[in-house]
Amino acid sequence: MTAVHQFVPALIPRDATGSHTLLLRQALRAAGWRSEVFAEATHDELVGESRYYEDYASVAAPGDTLLYQFSTSSAVADFLLERPEPLVLDYHNVTRPELTEAWDRGPARRSAEALRQLAALAPRAALGLADSAFNEADLRAAGCRRTAVVPVLVDLDRLTAPPDPRVVARLRGGKEEGGADWLFVGRVVPSKAQHDLVKALWAYRHLYDPSARLHLVGSTPSRRYLAALRQFAEDLGLEGAVRVAGEVSDAALAGYFAASDVYVSTSRHEGFGIPLLEAMHAGIPVVALASSAVPATVGHAGLLVDDPSPARLAAAVHRVLTDAALRARLAEAGRRKVADHGLEHSGRRAVAAIAGVAGERSDPCG
Amino acid sequence: MTDVAEPDPEEGGPAVEDGDGDDAYLAQVMVEIDEEVRRKRAELPARVERELDALFLEHSPMAGRGGDLGDALRLVETSAFIDPVVPVASKRPAGALIKKSLRTANLWYVGWVAHQVSQFAAAVSRSLRLVDNRLVELQRQLDAVAVPAAPVVDAGVAGAWWTEPAIDALAGSTGRVLHAACGDGWLVVALADKGVDAYGVDPRPGAVDGADLSATDLREEDPGEHLHAVASAALGGIVLSGVVDGMTAGQRQQLLERAADRLAPEGVLVVHSVSPAVWHADSAPAEVDLAPGRPVRPQAWTLLLPGWNVEVVPGPNAQDYLVVARR
Repeated sequence: MTAVHQFVPALIPRDATGSHTLLLRQALRAAGWRSEVFAEATHDELVGESRYYEDYASVAAPGDTLLYQFSTSSAVADFLLERPEPLVLDYHNVTRPELTEAWDRGPARRSAEALRQLAALAPRAALGLADSAFNEADLRAAGCRRTAVVPVLVDLDRLTAPPDPRVVARLRGGKEEGGADWLFVGRVVPSKAQHDLVKALWAYRHLYDPSARLHLVGSTPSRRYLAALRQFAEDLGLEGAVRVAGEVSDAALAGYFAASDVYVSTSRHEGFGIPLLEAMHAGIPVVALASSAVPATVGHAGLLVDDPSPARLAAAVHRVLTDAALRARLAEAGRRKVADHGLEHSGRRAVAAIAGVAGERSDPCG
Repeated sequence: MTDVAEPDPEEGGPAVEDGDGDDAYLAQVMVEIDEEVRRKRAELPARVERELDALFLEHSPMAGRGGDLGDALRLVETSAFIDPVVPVASKRPAGALIKKSLRTANLWYVGWVAHQVSQFAAAVSRSLRLVDNRLVELQRQLDAVAVPAAPVVDAGVAGAWWTEPAIDALAGSTGRVLHAACGDGWLVVALADKGVDAYGVDPRPGAVDGADLSATDLREEDPGEHLHAVASAALGGIVLSGVVDGMTAGQRQQLLERAADRLAPEGVLVVHSVSPAVWHADSAPAEVDLAPGRPVRPQAWTLLLPGWNVEVVPGPNAQDYLVVARR
């Protein structure tokens, strides 16, 4: 065995799958494997980090193992279906079409196509890797006979970079007028249910803190949902209190985590939920709806509510912000969670799982 | 097979969590948060939460509001035509002229493709319209033979003999407890007084109007439809009173299966029912004559709830009884 090459639909910076791919390549190379990344599309910032996926055919060598970072539909899946090499599926979850189809048919169609590709690839895979038991269940349901749960590789150090002073100044300036700052990080899409955060913020302002604010950080691919969200906030008189930041730099993200008081999630569908881990790393308390993989990711490091009732979410946020002992206990549990996801440690676990399929390397050329 | 990758022994693995201690501590915090929610209900009634839901739905697309097939077909039909004559307006000088030239040059080709796509879309929408018409006709025929909804008969009143055993069975519930049919909320209030997070639904029009809805969470809703919307294992207890008596065997089975799914593993199901003889008496209300089903005898409940630990508490004079079921 000589190489473990990764395939990915798109290699994008500051994206969970893109970051995981590059970190896993680093871990594989550190362990002595040859490893390259092949992608259907590569972001300008990462040109040189990957090759076009069809180019693999010209460099394929006996003994190669191919690892597919599965997160959406892609021509790469159909390409891999025809390849004879052993295949490892690293599954990052696909949002169920029914969660988006009422709003955006394009993404729903892509999700349905991705699930079709998963069903085709899973029985053919020698190993399925998942970063949560929730994702592992999807893999097994799709026909993966051998699976393993290994931590997602996430570079939490990007949040320890100096935070963007403009973001910190803006948030701290707002605090002079009082009010807590809520934070949620994730794409503004129906499956993340930011509208439930708006309801909860309204309830929280009504019951406890009339100056509280909500910061929504993340890309806004659904114009229809974003427009509905803005109109809803306006209906509730929250147009100045709900701030949609969009996609931000690492430094700005660090600023949001540094200056926010609580991380709140009402997402209906998370395969893992890296921002939850980032909130723990930043030491801010987490209040989250117990859906999909969220309970496993949060564990004892946050308050989990069973339903998105605005009053219940507001009361949970109020409790966590007024109970220092609770915050300290959650923070301690969060530190343990973050330690479990240390990059070097997680990388070795992922490589060990892959080695079970790829076998011992015979050409540790690095 | 499932390989759960083990922590690297050289690193000592993840830190050991104080799992049981954390579980108990966080469970207690959540109980206190639920108590806080109840205290705040006067300031934020459940009715207002429902108004928030309805307000957001106004901004949701038609499909998100569960629009019917006819609405969806109208959308399909309006978008079935592909217009090959693309707009040529431009902000740049001569832009419109260039675009128009390109359009003219390509129109024979684009128009041919667009015509076929439009034909296909129109054929699909015509087929769907035929399906819709057929469904409407089938619905009309089904309505003629449909089993009517079971009426709520004798749902109980404050001070009923079975209040105390029902509360005893539910006093330790850690999750929310649903009472159907709740009437004016007499049992919800009694459960709340014992520290139980209870709420109620009642399908009878106006049944909950007399209650103080700012203090208690009561909803005018069909119990079956309500349970359909509740997540699996979300409830700590369910009380059914006056609900199952008039149901057909199929309706009753469906409701009980749904209730069993919505209860947490340690959840308790409490059913109050009358004896069949009561419905045959001249003093029975007229609704019983129109009900599609009849009450069952107490001994039937072990068959209705197989695998459950069923306890039957007989009422005075053998007029009614209470079923307490646990898994």
